[in-house]
Order: sequence, then C-alpha cells, then structure tokens
Amino acid sequence: MRYSLRTKASATLAGVAGIALVVSGCSSNSTTSAPASPSVDNTTPITLTITTFGTMGLDGLYAEYTKLHPNITIKPTNIDTGGNAQTDWQTKQAAGTGLPDIQAVEEGWLSKVMQVSDSFTDLTAYGAKDIASQWVPWKVGQATDAKGRIIGYGTDIGPEGLCYNSKLFAAAGLPSDRDAVAKLFGGTGATWEKFFEVGRQYHAATGKAWYDQSGFVWNAMVNEQPEGYYKKDGTLNVEGNATLNGLFMQLAQGAADGLSSGQTQWDWGKGKAFVDGSFATFVCPGWMLGVVKGQVTAAGGDSTSGWDFADVFPGGAANWGGTFLTVPTTSAHPAEAAALAAWLTAPEQQVKSFQAAGTFPSDVKAQTDPGVTGPSDLTKFFNDAPIGTILGSRANGVVAQYKGPDDSVIQEQVFGPSIQAIDSGKADGTKAWNDALTLLKQLVVNK
Amino acid sequence: MTATRTGRQRRRQTPPDLPQNEAATLRQRLSRWDLKYSPYLYISPFFLLFLLVGMFPLAYMLIVSLHNWNLLTGAGDWVGFANFSTELKDPLFWNSVRNTFSIFLLSAIPQLIAATTIAAILDRNLRAKTFWRLSVILPYVVTPVAVALIFSNVFSEKYGLANTLLQHFGFNDIMWKTETLPSHLAIATMVNWRWTGYNALILLAAMQAVPRDIYESAAIDGAGAFRRFFSMTLPSIRPTMIFVIVTATVGGMQIFTEAKLLNPSSSVPGGPQRQYQTAVLYLWDLAFNRQNFGRAAAVAWLLFILITAVGTLNFLLSRRIASAGDGRAEKRGRIRQARILAERGAANKAAAALAAEGGASTETSDRTKGVER
Repeated sequence: MRYSLRTKASATLAGVAGIALVVSGCSSNSTTSAPASPSVDNTTPITLTITTFGTMGLDGLYAEYTKLHPNITIKPTNIDTGGNAQTDWQTKQAAGTGLPDIQAVEEGWLSKVMQVSDSFTDLTAYGAKDIASQWVPWKVGQATDAKGRIIGYGTDIGPEGLCYNSKLFAAAGLPSDRDAVAKLFGGTGATWEKFFEVGRQYHAATGKAWYDQSGFVWNAMVNEQPEGYYKKDGTLNVEGNATLNGLFMQLAQGAADGLSSGQTQWDWGKGKAFVDGSFATFVCPGWMLGVVKGQVTAAGGDSTSGWDFADVFPGGAANWGGTFLTVPTTSAHPAEAAALAAWLTAPEQQVKSFQAAGTFPSDVKAQTDPGVTGPSDLTKFFNDAPIGTILGSRANGVVAQYKGPDDSVIQEQVFGPSIQAIDSGKADGTKAWNDALTLLKQLVVNK
Repeated sequence: MTATRTGRQRRRQTPPDLPQNEAATLRQRLSRWDLKYSPYLYISPFFLLFLLVGMFPLAYMLIVSLHNWNLLTGAGDWVGFANFSTELKDPLFWNSVRNTFSIFLLSAIPQLIAATTIAAILDRNLRAKTFWRLSVILPYVVTPVAVALIFSNVFSEKYGLANTLLQHFGFNDIMWKTETLPSHLAIATMVNWRWTGYNALILLAAMQAVPRDIYESAAIDGAGAFRRFFSMTLPSIRPTMIFVIVTATVGGMQIFTEAKLLNPSSSVPGGPQRQYQTAVLYLWDLAFNRQNFGRAAAVAWLLFILITAVGTLNFLLSRRIASAGDGRAEKRGRIRQARILAERGAANKAAAALAAEGGASTETSDRTKGVER
C-alpha cells in the first residue's frame, strides 16, 4: 500500500519478468574498470549506465547531457514498473554484480536500500552538501542514512492532497468549490475527526460511501506521524502506540459506519467505481492524479465526471512515493555518475521531467516554475484546478519519517489483513488491532 | 532404445572377431571404446545440464536453508535445522500446505474426469476430427498470466461477470477473492480451464492406441458402450492415466501464478488473511517480501519432499485403478510402458498429441513389441 502505482500497478507480470531479470542479472556491468578518480574526467570517453522505471521523464534529457559532455555515453535501461525495478535491484544487489552506475530507487523500497546503504556511494564526497538546499528538506532527510551519508538525489515527490467529486458533494448539499471544500475540512488545521464527521453527514444524506477503501487512508495516517512503525532509534513503535491505535479506531469506526466503499485497491472495478458514485473522496498524492484520470477514462468518463483537487489534507502534510537517483559503489566512475545524477535532478531538468511525465519536482525552485504551475491536460481534467500550485503547498511541512527494515512488511502484511477485515465487516476495531499485533509478533518480532 | 539395443547385439558379435592373444590395435581399441562409452557420451548433455541447473541449485539451497540468510545482506550464522523446525511449527506454513492440497483436489479430480470424458467423446468417429481436437487444446495456448488476468476480472467481487450473473439469478454476491472456499474454486477454475483439454488430448492419444478389433469382438459378445469403456478403455489407458495423474500432482503442488494473480494488488500475496496462499506463493513471499532466504530455502526443501511423497502415493494408487481383468504379462508390459512414458517427461507431451493425430500406428507397434518381449 505504501508502494506507489509505479511499484504496484502491474505486479501482474512480475513473475514472468522476474525470470528475465534473473537472467539479465547474470550479465555483469561491462564498463571497463578504470580507477575511480576523485574529480570529474572531461576528456576520456566514459560510458555510464542508468536504470530507471515507469515514466520518470528523464529519457529526453540524456541527449542534452551528452551534448554538454561529449566524452560521456549514456546507456539507459527503463523497467516497466517500480515493482519489477525493485526485483531487478534486489536480485543484482544480492548477487553483488550487474548494478548500473546510476540506480533509481523508489521511496516504497527505500527502507530495504537503507539496510545496505553502505553499498551506495556517499554523495557528500561529490558535493551533495553544496546543493542540498535546492530540495525540500525532508527529501534530503529521506535519502540520508543512519550515519549521515547522503546516498541519493531526489527526483519527484508525492505530496498528498484531497481529490473529491464536486458533483457528488453538491448533490449531498456540501460545498463543491475547492476553496470552500478546503475550509470545510478545516483548512491548514484539517483533522481526521473532521474528515470522518463530514463523511457521516455525506453518508446520512446519500447512503453512499465516503472513500474508496481504508488502506490508502491508513497509509496516509501513518505516513504523516513524526514516527511511524519504527522509532527514530530503530525500535518498533506499534504496540502501545496510543496515536496509531486512536487513528486505527477512528478508521474502523468509519468503516463500520459505511464510509468505506470496500473497493479492491488498484482495481476499482477497472475504474467503474470512479464514475458510478461509489465514493466521493480519494487520497491523492501528486502522481495519483494521473491514475484518477486514467481510471475515469478507462470507465468511459471524462472531465465532466466531477473530480476536483483541493488544497487540504486531514491530519497535516503527508507524502507518498517519490524517487531518488543513487550511485552504487560498484560503479567504476562514481564521480561522473554523481555529476550526471546531480544534473538530472537539478531544477531546470525537473521542470522538463514534469512536463514530460507529470512527476512533481522535489526542487523548491522548480515547484514554483511556470512550467509546473501552468495549465495542462491534467489541470483541465480536474476542473482547471491549479495542480502544480496546490501540490507545492501540500509539500510544506512533510516530515522525513524513519523507515525500518520491515516497514513494508508491517504495512502490507501486518496491517493489510486488519484493514481488509474492518472494510469487509469481519472484525471490529479492537479485534483487528489485536490481530495486527499478533501478526506483528509472528512476522517481524520472532522472525 | 534402438541405439542401445543394436549396441548390445553388436557387442555380442564382436568379441570372437578380436585376436585373443595379441594386444588389440589402436583401431580396435578405439572401436571397442566407441561401443562401450559413446552411448554415455550421447546421453551426457542431459545429465550435465541437469547437474548444473537441477542438482547444483538443490544442493546450494540446502546450504542456504541451514543458515540465517537475508535476501540483501546475505549469509548469516549457521543455524543447523532451526529453519526447518521453525517452519514445521509455523501455522502460516501449514495454512499454505492446506490451501495447496485443497486447490489441488478441487482442480485435479474434476479435471481428470472431464478430460477422460472429452477424450472418450473425441475417440468416437466424429466429423471434422482435427477441428474438435484443436479446439480442445486452445485454452492451453494462452499463457497462464493472461488466463489469470481474465479470470481475475471475471471473479472481481464488485463488478465481475460471475457476481453479476449471480445477482441476475437472485443470488448473493460471492466473495471470490477474500473467502477461502470461493477463492479456491476460482483458482481451480483457472487451472481446469487451462489443463483439461491438454490432458484430454494425451488420454485421447492413449485411447486411439487401443486395438479396434477387441472392441468389435466385445460388442459382438454383447458388451454395451459403458461396459466397453470401463472394462476395456480405462484399463488400457492406465499407463497414460498414471502419467497424467503424476504430472497433474507435480503441477498442482507447485501452483503459483493463478494464486498470485487472482488479486495482483493484494497487500498479502494469497488473500488478505492468506485464504489462498499456496505453498510456493508462501515460499516466494518469505524470500522476496520478508527477505528470509534461509527459511524460504527450508520451505522449498520441505515442498520437494512433500511433492515426491504425494507423487509416489498417487503413482501407487493409480496403478490399482481399473486393474480388474488384467493379465499378468500384460500388466508387466504396461508398467514398463508407464515407466518409459514417465521418463519421456514433459517434452514428449506434444508428441503424444501428434501421435493422436497421425494414427496410432507407432504406439501400437511399440505395444506389440513390448508384449512379445
């Protein structure tokens, strides 16, 4: 659930691709190993390999870079989804060979990367500290390991806002204008209590569900805490955690009151649930806007379906997803690789990536660039909402939460079953929470 | 077969030709080595490849299973058989074994009954034989991933075809992806859809090899169609039946794709409460999501032992099927045939289908030879 669509969407082919990846994992990096020079070499011909995934919007930039640096040749590999890219990376990491000079890493599997952060180049040796201020601070925080080494340069981020269906809101007698909606939930002080309260009003007026399913809501609730499943010192932070327990009970009560539509996440009846009025609000990180548009279109809807995007999020600022460019220590040219990674993630290039692929920039300067805040197909779909501006505002105040090695296991396998149980009415909040604690002991504590 | 037989014959003839007292010439020695050793050279590629991609991983996996082994950080401490005992005590492991057996029984039994029936129908004198036979194999052409995607959609709980139909007839929705028995049925359906026609063709090949004149004399003696089927067809196709049952067992115990893709976005692979997490899916989850390679390797070994045991059991059981009225000599011949069939393995499945088409001539002649010997 913590994984973005790029990680999850077509896990379908993972099995097949996995085999292909194991095979390709055997073909090792073919760059001739010259001793790593401390400074960037501008004359010797050098080939740099880079592995990306999904649509990161970097493809058009490679040619531009090689024009600026004629001695560099870039060999890019793009893997279809983040999930497959993770399998690819895990396999090569485990085998200890075959990693590229630049490896794109997604936030969803960053906790795994941090387990072996020593096998990534410390970019502070190549000037990371000098440019660190260009990113939103928490993005740099996420890429910093326990020893203070910066192992990745941020590309995009996923600040979360609230998608809502203005037509359904209006039909239920709620305000439908996006500023009024933001105010309805409490503006900058929006809370989950208020979110569920309005949801109950909506349910009473229409008899319909308020959000698609509880998983994404829970994901946001956990993500916006200063400490999530782990404390900063790396110890588990679930049992006896009153904050998380309180939020979980609210969520369970919401589901019991009929606020959850109990949809299958990443499926939504192939988009039908987005156009048939099954639910009226939806948790939307920046990259999710494209997903909503895709789902609505797949079900035969268009911009008249009523979906809009409000500059508000219950419980405070939250982030979901986003990518980093890292340099594995196996690279024969770490200096040149670091230079390329820095260039690809510089503000000017992030604006271009956004225009090519809609990835919301993590660079502060790029966020306010007219190329990002201006109108596009996506803004048209969301009733001309100023998406770039809203996302920039939603990125303020996000905290870089420490993610332990089993973070994704806790999210998916410990709380996943309980979330499904409260959505399907199989368990009440207390039972579901206790079941999660049992699974936590079984899967994480006594592993 | 042919090569070794002629080899044996020639060897019997050659010794008298050799000069007994003098040392053999190089040429003679070479030719003797050729006779003795070349057959082994010819069959060696299979065994070498098997050593490389079969035995080595198996042995290496045993080493992994005896360690604490993280996917990313690699080998940890030697823990002996602790991984095995943890797994044998883990309720999630036994849950996955239960699910595997349940899905296997729900798929294999109806599948074999249906396949035998279809084969019996195709064995009759139909018009446009090739058309019917090809139609039966069509589902097999579609890759399991595509099959799973289609059925995943059909069994979608809120918008799927299956539940829409049920609603149409006034039934309640069935939770195909979140409840135990419905999900097992859904997965069994995918398996059956893909494999029934395939097994039917193999059984058909065997049925075509049964000499027609026996049927004629039985019919003259007054045996009806059912009597002929149960007393003659079934016993005659027993070796093939054993082959089909054993391969279905091995395949059924390793079921992965269908369970993985019934709901590809499920947070826990195999259903929210692991309702349909099969043993291989459990193994995969343990290795790649929970990163515990050591325990996953232990599960793989346990699974290996389990599959071998169940496969052997099914082999023994199916040897007893329909053995009434079988002569002893014939029985021995058939067992030999079954062994040959089993050795031929998966690669020859296609050939069997072809044999069904190209008439039973080769099969029949093989059989006659077998009985003569």
